[in-house]
Amino acid sequence: MPSPTCRPASGCLSSPHENRALPSLNLIGQSLLAGLFTGGLYALLGLGLSLTWGLLRVINLANFALAFLGAYLTYQLATAFRLDPILTLVVIVPGFFVVGIGLELGFLRFKINELTSLIVTFGLTVILESLIQWIWTADFRRLEWPYTRVSLRIGTLFVGLTGLLAFGAAALLTLGTWAWLRWSYLGKAARASAQDGPMAGAFGVNRRRLALLLAGLSAAYAAVAGLFIALNHTLAPSQIYSWIGVVFAAVIIGRLGNALGLLAASVFIAASEALTMAVTAPGWAPLVSFTLLIVILLLRPEL
Amino acid sequence: MLEVEHLEVAHGDAVAVWDVSLSVRPRDLVTVVGPNGAGKTTLINAIAGLQPIRSGTVRLDGGDLASVPAHELCRHGIALVPEGRRLFPAMTVEENLEIGCYAPPARRLRGQSLERVYATFPILRERRRQLAGSLSGGQQQMVAIGRALMACPRLLLLDEPSLGLAPQIVDQVFAVVAGIHADGVAVLLVEQNVVQAFAIAARGYVLEQGRVVAEGAPSQLAQDARIREAYLGQQ
Ligand SMILES: Nc1ncnc2c1ncn2[C@@H]1O[C@H](COP(=O)(O)OP(=O)(O)OP(=O)(O)O)[C@@H](O)[C@H]1O
Ligand SMILES: [Mg+2]
Repeated sequence: MPSPTCRPASGCLSSPHENRALPSLNLIGQSLLAGLFTGGLYALLGLGLSLTWGLLRVINLANFALAFLGAYLTYQLATAFRLDPILTLVVIVPGFFVVGIGLELGFLRFKINELTSLIVTFGLTVILESLIQWIWTADFRRLEWPYTRVSLRIGTLFVGLTGLLAFGAAALLTLGTWAWLRWSYLGKAARASAQDGPMAGAFGVNRRRLALLLAGLSAAYAAVAGLFIALNHTLAPSQIYSWIGVVFAAVIIGRLGNALGLLAASVFIAASEALTMAVTAPGWAPLVSFTLLIVILLLRPEL
Repeated sequence: MLEVEHLEVAHGDAVAVWDVSLSVRPRDLVTVVGPNGAGKTTLINAIAGLQPIRSGTVRLDGGDLASVPAHELCRHGIALVPEGRRLFPAMTVEENLEIGCYAPPARRLRGQSLERVYATFPILRERRRQLAGSLSGGQQQMVAIGRALMACPRLLLLDEPSLGLAPQIVDQVFAVVAGIHADGVAVLLVEQNVVQAFAIAARGYVLEQGRVVAEGAPSQLAQDARIREAYLGQQ
């Protein structure tokens, strides 16, 4: 389990709790809000994973390391050049898009399958973690920017601005991706290719180009996730691993390649975690995602 | 329009088709018949670009198709109704049809082509929002044929479209194939239902163990004692 500072699902986006004994309505509301925001981060992190897993049969663990690399790059550009963190995406997103294409070129070249992709990208994750540690050390880094500590007060609830932004970005990207896959020719071609590649090819789908596009997009999503991790959390290289389990659960519960399902599952898991922590103790939160995963897999085995 | 010469195709080291030559002229309806495992699917898939060619040539309107990537073949006017239908089961009927017109020239005619397919198979219009995987076998075959028609082909390749269907659906499928041919599309039809295939074809090839053992007009082939016995169930 992650570091002492701030675990994804903790209430660190919210105000301090006043009453520990009985969860008040206010505390529940605050927890649900934290769940919404943390769920947004899960969805942003899971989007690339869900797309490449569902449509390309590549389980890309390196997505998590890429997101952290993105978070550190945002931190670096913002602190060294006083560049607004959100503006750093203008550089990082296209860069990551190219990195995603490069990775997929390698996967295609070595005809990687689901299992080998898991192993190879685990290796990549370890390498990227070392790289991050070598450049930025294992010390905790916290991006401070005028808006990182801003909270809006709505009624009795405190709404953290960066959390709200994270959820907004997640909603925008998952909805956009879902609509694109559902209605555009390219999206239909991507789904058809996942079901019967050679037949899609026979009707004119250039599967190689499509795969590169999807892999590039997935890496670009990791860059966006990185931005919001940097805005909402203290960074340490080892924290890459603390997100993997829960995001996997969200990706599977939401169904592979289903962006809207991913958003719903992410928010559901994060809200359940936040509520569990509010009602019991923070230590129980990690149990939540996997209990949910197992229960849902039992109820819906046809996954 | 289609000329296959000395074609050899293998699955790994196992040669499944060798020294096959055949031709389909514009507006022709040609059938290839033969027993299970004769290499019919291997042959038609090789023409459609799904199977690499070991030697020999496949030419369309004089142009060699060996150098054309599989995903560009449909731009040359070839569409395939594959063995076992191979629909995209988790996509709707209409989405399956839309993949048929994915290539830009056919995509521009999407609305018109959809109308034509729905006019041919009215049941598909009713089912257009349903997942293809949930349809009956006959309806799935209609989607497979419809998907190929959406590509506006000049040459339609069909691999045993009547396989596993109820008798009256089989009749409907053959009527549709004859209709497509009557509209001016060249057809290469692989079949085991020799009687019905010979009834609509202008020419036939008999494939056995990967080789062409007889060719000619169906009426002529039907007079061959051995073919009558093996394929038409007559003495
Ligand atoms: N994917 C494959 N790998 C290896 N061998 C194969 C493969 N597909 C077919 N074969 C072999 O190639 C030969 C020709 O098979 P093919 O499917 O082309 O025959 P067919 O005439 O279409 O038969 P059917 O009428 O049963 O469809 C057979 O001996 C078959 O066992
Ligand atoms: Mg066959």
